[in-house]
Amino acid sequence: MLSETATEQLKQQLESLLDRCQPICAAVVVTVDGYTCAMKQRTTDQYSLERVATMGSTLMSLGDTMTAELKMGSCENIISENQHGIIAFMHINHNLVLVSLTTETNSLGMLLSHSRKCAENMAKTVAV
Amino acid sequence: MDKIIFTGPMGAGKTTAISAISEIPPIATDVRCTDEESQQRKENTTVAMDYGYITLEDSSRIHLYGTPGQERFNYMWTILTNGGIGLVLLIDNARPNPIEDLHFYLDAFQDFIRSTGVVIGITRTDVDSNVTLNEYYSALMKRGQVYPLFEIDPRQTQDVTILIHALLAVLSQQAAA
Repeated sequence: MLSETATEQLKQQLESLLDRCQPICAAVVVTVDGYTCAMKQRTTDQYSLERVATMGSTLMSLGDTMTAELKMGSCENIISENQHGIIAFMHINHNLVLVSLTTETNSLGMLLSHSRKCAENMAKTVAV
Repeated sequence: MDKIIFTGPMGAGKTTAISAISEIPPIATDVRCTDEESQQRKENTTVAMDYGYITLEDSSRIHLYGTPGQERFNYMWTILTNGGIGLVLLIDNARPNPIEDLHFYLDAFQDFIRSTGVVIGITRTDVDSNVTLNEYYSALMKRGQVYPLFEIDPRQTQDVTILIHALLAVLSQQAAA
Protein backbone atom coordinates (compact mmCIF):
# COMPACT_ATOMS: atom_id res chain seq x y z
CA MET A 1 0.00 0.00 0.00
CA LEU A 2 1.06 3.62 -0.48
CA SER A 3 2.58 5.73 2.27
CA GLU A 4 0.53 8.60 3.70
CA THR A 5 2.92 11.03 2.06
CA ALA A 6 2.50 9.45 -1.36
CA THR A 7 -1.28 9.33 -0.95
CA GLU A 8 -1.34 13.01 -0.01
CA GLN A 9 0.77 13.86 -3.06
CA LEU A 10 -1.61 11.91 -5.31
CA LYS A 11 -4.53 13.91 -3.88
CA GLN A 12 -2.72 17.15 -4.64
CA GLN A 13 -2.01 15.98 -8.18
CA LEU A 14 -5.70 15.18 -8.69
CA GLU A 15 -6.59 18.67 -7.47
CA SER A 16 -4.06 20.10 -9.86
CA LEU A 17 -5.51 18.02 -12.70
CA LEU A 18 -8.99 19.43 -12.08
CA ASP A 19 -7.58 22.96 -11.76
CA ARG A 20 -5.70 22.76 -15.04
CA CYS A 21 -8.40 21.05 -17.10
CA GLN A 22 -11.83 22.60 -16.59
CA PRO A 23 -13.82 19.89 -18.46
CA ILE A 24 -12.64 17.16 -16.09
CA CYS A 25 -15.23 16.89 -13.34
CA ALA A 26 -13.79 14.00 -11.32
CA ALA A 27 -10.74 11.78 -11.12
CA VAL A 28 -9.71 8.90 -8.92
CA VAL A 29 -6.62 6.77 -8.34
CA VAL A 30 -7.22 3.09 -7.63
CA THR A 31 -5.00 0.07 -7.14
CA VAL A 32 -5.20 -2.64 -9.81
CA ASP A 33 -7.09 -4.81 -7.32
CA GLY A 34 -9.75 -2.22 -6.63
CA TYR A 35 -8.74 -0.17 -3.59
CA THR A 36 -9.27 3.59 -3.82
CA CYS A 37 -6.11 5.60 -3.05
CA ALA A 38 -7.18 9.18 -3.80
CA MET A 39 -10.14 10.91 -5.39
CA LYS A 40 -11.32 14.38 -6.28
CA GLN A 41 -14.53 15.71 -7.77
CA ARG A 42 -15.57 19.20 -8.65
CA THR A 43 -19.02 18.95 -7.06
CA THR A 44 -19.01 17.20 -3.70
CA ASP A 45 -20.81 13.84 -3.67
CA GLN A 46 -21.83 14.13 -7.33
CA TYR A 47 -20.46 10.65 -7.99
CA SER A 48 -19.88 7.52 -5.93
CA LEU A 49 -16.22 7.49 -6.86
CA GLU A 50 -15.15 4.49 -4.78
CA ARG A 51 -17.43 2.23 -6.79
CA VAL A 52 -16.30 3.87 -10.03
CA ALA A 53 -12.71 3.30 -8.95
CA THR A 54 -13.22 -0.41 -8.37
CA MET A 55 -14.96 -0.73 -11.73
CA GLY A 56 -11.99 1.09 -13.25
CA SER A 57 -9.63 -1.60 -11.96
CA THR A 58 -11.88 -4.25 -13.48
CA LEU A 59 -12.00 -2.52 -16.87
CA MET A 60 -8.27 -1.88 -16.93
CA SER A 61 -7.64 -5.53 -16.19
CA LEU A 62 -9.96 -6.56 -19.03
CA GLY A 63 -8.10 -4.15 -21.31
CA ASP A 64 -4.77 -5.67 -20.28
CA THR A 65 -6.12 -9.17 -20.84
CA MET A 66 -7.50 -8.30 -24.28
CA THR A 67 -4.33 -6.60 -25.48
CA ALA A 68 -2.25 -9.54 -24.24
CA GLU A 69 -4.59 -11.95 -26.03
CA LEU A 70 -4.20 -9.97 -29.25
CA LYS A 71 -0.44 -9.50 -28.70
CA MET A 72 -0.79 -5.72 -28.93
CA GLY A 73 1.67 -4.87 -26.19
CA SER A 74 0.50 -3.07 -23.08
CA CYS A 75 -2.92 -1.42 -22.77
CA GLU A 76 -2.30 2.35 -22.68
CA ASN A 77 -5.81 3.50 -21.94
CA ILE A 78 -9.49 2.64 -22.25
CA ILE A 79 -12.02 5.23 -23.34
CA SER A 80 -15.72 4.99 -22.66
CA GLU A 81 -17.58 7.53 -24.83
CA ASN A 82 -21.13 7.92 -23.63
CA GLN A 83 -24.24 9.93 -24.35
CA HIS A 84 -23.54 12.33 -21.49
CA GLY A 85 -19.80 12.17 -21.01
CA ILE A 86 -16.49 10.42 -21.43
CA ILE A 87 -14.51 8.25 -19.01
CA ALA A 88 -10.82 7.52 -19.46
CA PHE A 89 -8.95 4.70 -17.71
CA MET A 90 -5.17 4.51 -17.82
CA HIS A 91 -2.29 2.86 -16.00
CA ILE A 92 -0.14 5.03 -13.75
CA ASN A 93 2.19 2.06 -13.21
CA HIS A 94 1.81 -1.70 -12.71
CA ASN A 95 -0.06 -1.18 -9.45
CA LEU A 96 -2.17 1.95 -9.97
CA VAL A 97 -4.87 3.13 -12.38
CA LEU A 98 -6.14 6.67 -13.02
CA VAL A 99 -9.82 7.10 -13.87
CA SER A 100 -10.91 10.54 -15.06
CA LEU A 101 -14.21 11.74 -16.44
CA THR A 102 -15.89 14.65 -18.13
CA THR A 103 -19.50 15.44 -18.91
CA GLU A 104 -18.43 17.42 -21.97
CA THR A 105 -18.63 15.03 -24.90
CA ASN A 106 -16.38 17.17 -27.12
CA SER A 107 -13.45 17.18 -24.66
CA LEU A 108 -11.87 13.80 -25.34
CA GLY A 109 -8.53 15.32 -26.39
CA MET A 110 -8.22 17.48 -23.30
CA LEU A 111 -9.33 14.66 -21.03
CA LEU A 112 -6.74 12.28 -22.46
CA SER A 113 -3.81 14.67 -22.70
CA HIS A 114 -4.20 16.15 -19.22
CA SER A 115 -4.90 12.76 -17.66
CA ARG A 116 -1.88 11.18 -19.37
CA LYS A 117 0.38 13.97 -18.14
CA CYS A 118 -1.05 13.60 -14.63
CA ALA A 119 -0.55 9.82 -14.72
CA GLU A 120 3.09 10.28 -15.75
CA ASN A 121 3.68 12.70 -12.88
CA MET A 122 1.97 10.34 -10.46
CA ALA A 123 4.20 7.49 -11.64
CA LYS A 124 7.23 9.61 -10.71
CA THR A 125 5.69 10.44 -7.33
CA VAL A 126 5.04 6.84 -6.29
CA ALA A 127 8.39 5.67 -7.67
CA VAL A 128 10.28 7.85 -5.20
CA MET B 1 -25.28 -20.43 -24.71
CA ASP B 2 -24.97 -22.57 -21.56
CA LYS B 3 -22.79 -20.95 -18.98
CA ILE B 4 -21.92 -22.00 -15.46
CA ILE B 5 -20.66 -19.51 -12.92
CA PHE B 6 -17.96 -20.25 -10.35
CA THR B 7 -18.04 -18.09 -7.26
CA GLY B 8 -16.81 -18.01 -3.68
CA PRO B 9 -14.36 -16.10 -1.50
CA MET B 10 -10.92 -15.01 -2.64
CA GLY B 11 -8.53 -17.95 -2.61
CA ALA B 12 -11.21 -20.66 -2.72
CA GLY B 13 -9.89 -21.96 -6.04
CA LYS B 14 -12.24 -20.57 -8.71
CA THR B 15 -9.52 -19.71 -11.21
CA THR B 16 -7.74 -22.99 -10.46
CA ALA B 17 -10.93 -25.02 -10.92
CA ILE B 18 -11.68 -23.46 -14.31
CA SER B 19 -8.06 -23.99 -15.36
CA ALA B 20 -8.33 -27.64 -14.30
CA ILE B 21 -11.13 -28.48 -16.71
CA SER B 22 -11.10 -25.87 -19.47
CA GLU B 23 -10.27 -27.14 -22.96
CA ILE B 24 -8.62 -23.84 -23.81
CA PRO B 25 -6.03 -21.91 -21.86
CA PRO B 26 -8.35 -19.99 -19.54
CA ILE B 27 -8.73 -16.27 -19.91
CA ALA B 28 -7.92 -14.77 -16.55
CA THR B 29 -7.91 -11.20 -15.29
CA ASP B 30 -5.59 -11.69 -12.36
CA VAL B 31 -3.76 -8.75 -10.86
CA ARG B 32 -1.29 -8.52 -8.02
CA CYS B 33 -2.84 -8.15 -4.54
CA THR B 34 -1.80 -4.81 -3.11
CA ASP B 35 -2.99 -5.12 0.50
CA GLU B 36 -1.00 -7.05 3.09
CA GLU B 37 -3.90 -9.18 4.30
CA SER B 38 -4.59 -10.51 0.80
CA GLN B 39 -0.89 -10.88 0.01
CA GLN B 40 -0.54 -13.26 2.96
CA ARG B 41 -3.14 -15.54 1.36
CA LYS B 42 -2.20 -15.35 -2.32
CA GLU B 43 -0.19 -13.35 -4.78
CA ASN B 44 -2.87 -12.56 -7.38
CA THR B 45 -6.59 -12.02 -7.43
CA THR B 46 -9.29 -11.93 -10.12
CA VAL B 47 -10.81 -8.48 -10.64
CA ALA B 48 -13.03 -9.03 -13.69
CA MET B 49 -13.59 -12.68 -14.59
CA ASP B 50 -12.11 -16.01 -15.57
CA TYR B 51 -13.31 -17.80 -18.67
CA GLY B 52 -12.93 -21.25 -20.16
CA TYR B 53 -15.14 -23.94 -21.65
CA ILE B 54 -15.69 -27.68 -21.76
CA THR B 55 -17.46 -29.87 -24.31
CA LEU B 56 -19.83 -32.53 -23.01
CA GLU B 57 -20.28 -36.04 -24.45
CA ASP B 58 -23.28 -34.87 -26.45
CA SER B 59 -21.03 -32.23 -28.07
CA SER B 60 -22.72 -29.36 -26.27
CA ARG B 61 -20.40 -26.70 -24.99
CA ILE B 62 -20.52 -25.37 -21.43
CA HIS B 63 -18.94 -21.95 -20.90
CA LEU B 64 -17.30 -21.46 -17.53
CA TYR B 65 -17.09 -18.05 -15.89
CA GLY B 66 -15.36 -17.28 -12.62
CA THR B 67 -16.32 -14.22 -10.59
CA PRO B 68 -14.06 -12.04 -8.48
CA GLY B 69 -14.37 -13.17 -4.87
CA GLN B 70 -14.38 -9.87 -3.00
CA GLU B 71 -17.66 -8.12 -2.37
CA ARG B 72 -16.37 -4.81 -3.74
CA PHE B 73 -16.57 -6.43 -7.19
CA ASN B 74 -20.18 -7.51 -6.74
CA TYR B 75 -21.27 -5.63 -9.89
CA MET B 76 -19.40 -8.36 -11.78
CA TRP B 77 -21.52 -10.99 -10.03
CA THR B 78 -24.65 -9.45 -11.55
CA ILE B 79 -23.06 -9.13 -14.98
CA LEU B 80 -21.65 -12.66 -15.05
CA THR B 81 -24.73 -14.48 -13.75
CA ASN B 82 -26.91 -12.91 -16.41
CA GLY B 83 -27.97 -15.80 -18.66
CA GLY B 84 -26.21 -18.42 -16.53
CA ILE B 85 -27.68 -21.89 -16.05
CA GLY B 86 -26.21 -22.68 -12.64
CA LEU B 87 -23.72 -21.88 -9.90
CA VAL B 88 -20.69 -23.67 -8.52
CA LEU B 89 -19.95 -22.25 -5.07
CA LEU B 90 -16.46 -22.94 -3.75
CA ILE B 91 -15.84 -22.42 -0.04
CA ASP B 92 -12.30 -22.24 1.34
CA ASN B 93 -12.26 -24.37 4.48
CA ALA B 94 -9.05 -22.69 5.66
CA ARG B 95 -10.59 -19.24 5.97
CA PRO B 96 -11.42 -17.97 9.46
CA ASN B 97 -15.18 -18.61 9.21
CA PRO B 98 -16.12 -20.75 6.21
CA ILE B 99 -19.68 -21.34 7.41
CA GLU B 100 -20.19 -17.58 7.46
CA ASP B 101 -18.79 -17.46 3.91
CA LEU B 102 -21.28 -20.14 2.88
CA HIS B 103 -24.19 -18.09 4.21
CA PHE B 104 -22.84 -14.92 2.64
CA TYR B 105 -22.56 -16.31 -0.89
CA LEU B 106 -25.83 -18.25 -0.71
CA ASP B 107 -27.53 -14.99 0.31
CA ALA B 108 -25.71 -12.88 -2.29
CA PHE B 109 -26.65 -15.27 -5.12
CA GLN B 110 -30.04 -16.33 -3.78
CA ASP B 111 -32.07 -14.99 -6.71
CA PHE B 112 -29.80 -16.68 -9.23
CA ILE B 113 -29.80 -19.95 -7.26
CA ARG B 114 -33.58 -19.87 -6.96
CA SER B 115 -33.99 -19.59 -10.72
CA THR B 116 -31.21 -22.07 -11.59
CA GLY B 117 -29.31 -24.40 -9.23
CA VAL B 118 -26.16 -24.66 -7.16
CA VAL B 119 -23.56 -27.21 -6.08
CA ILE B 120 -21.04 -26.53 -3.34
CA GLY B 121 -17.39 -27.55 -3.29
CA ILE B 122 -15.42 -27.31 -0.05
CA THR B 123 -11.75 -26.69 -0.79
CA ARG B 124 -8.47 -26.66 1.15
CA THR B 125 -9.65 -29.26 3.66
CA ASP B 126 -6.08 -30.56 3.52
CA VAL B 127 -4.91 -27.22 4.95
CA ASP B 128 -7.57 -26.92 7.65
CA SER B 129 -10.11 -29.56 8.66
CA ASN B 130 -11.60 -27.83 11.68
CA VAL B 131 -14.97 -27.45 9.95
CA THR B 132 -16.40 -30.75 8.75
CA LEU B 133 -18.80 -31.54 5.91
CA ASN B 134 -21.43 -32.38 8.53
CA GLU B 135 -21.23 -28.83 9.84
CA TYR B 136 -21.85 -27.52 6.35
CA TYR B 137 -24.81 -29.90 6.01
CA SER B 138 -26.17 -28.64 9.32
CA ALA B 139 -25.79 -25.03 8.19
CA LEU B 140 -27.68 -25.82 4.99
CA MET B 141 -30.39 -27.70 6.89
CA LYS B 142 -30.89 -24.72 9.19
CA ARG B 143 -31.51 -22.64 6.07
CA GLY B 144 -33.96 -25.29 4.85
CA GLN B 145 -31.77 -25.80 1.80
CA VAL B 146 -30.39 -29.11 0.57
CA TYR B 147 -27.69 -28.72 -2.06
CA PRO B 148 -25.09 -31.17 -3.35
CA LEU B 149 -21.97 -30.73 -1.25
CA PHE B 150 -18.51 -32.12 -2.06
CA GLU B 151 -15.06 -31.93 -0.61
CA ILE B 152 -12.85 -31.13 -3.59
CA ASP B 153 -9.37 -30.21 -4.69
CA PRO B 154 -9.81 -27.55 -7.42
CA ARG B 155 -6.47 -28.58 -8.95
CA GLN B 156 -7.88 -32.02 -9.75
CA THR B 157 -9.75 -32.25 -13.05
CA GLN B 158 -11.82 -35.17 -11.82
CA ASP B 159 -12.98 -33.32 -8.70
CA VAL B 160 -14.13 -30.28 -10.66
CA THR B 161 -15.74 -32.46 -13.33
CA ILE B 162 -17.79 -34.17 -10.62
CA LEU B 163 -19.07 -30.77 -9.51
CA ILE B 164 -20.10 -29.86 -13.05
CA HIS B 165 -21.88 -33.20 -13.59
CA ALA B 166 -23.65 -32.87 -10.24
CA LEU B 167 -24.85 -29.41 -11.19
CA LEU B 168 -26.07 -30.60 -14.57
CA ALA B 169 -27.89 -33.46 -12.86
CA VAL B 170 -29.59 -31.00 -10.50
CA LEU B 171 -30.63 -28.80 -13.41
CA SER B 172 -31.89 -31.82 -15.34
CA GLN B 173 -33.99 -32.94 -12.36
CA GLN B 174 -35.43 -29.46 -11.98
CA ALA B 175 -36.30 -29.33 -15.67
CA ALA B 176 -38.03 -32.72 -15.45
CA ALA B 177 -40.02 -31.78 -12.33
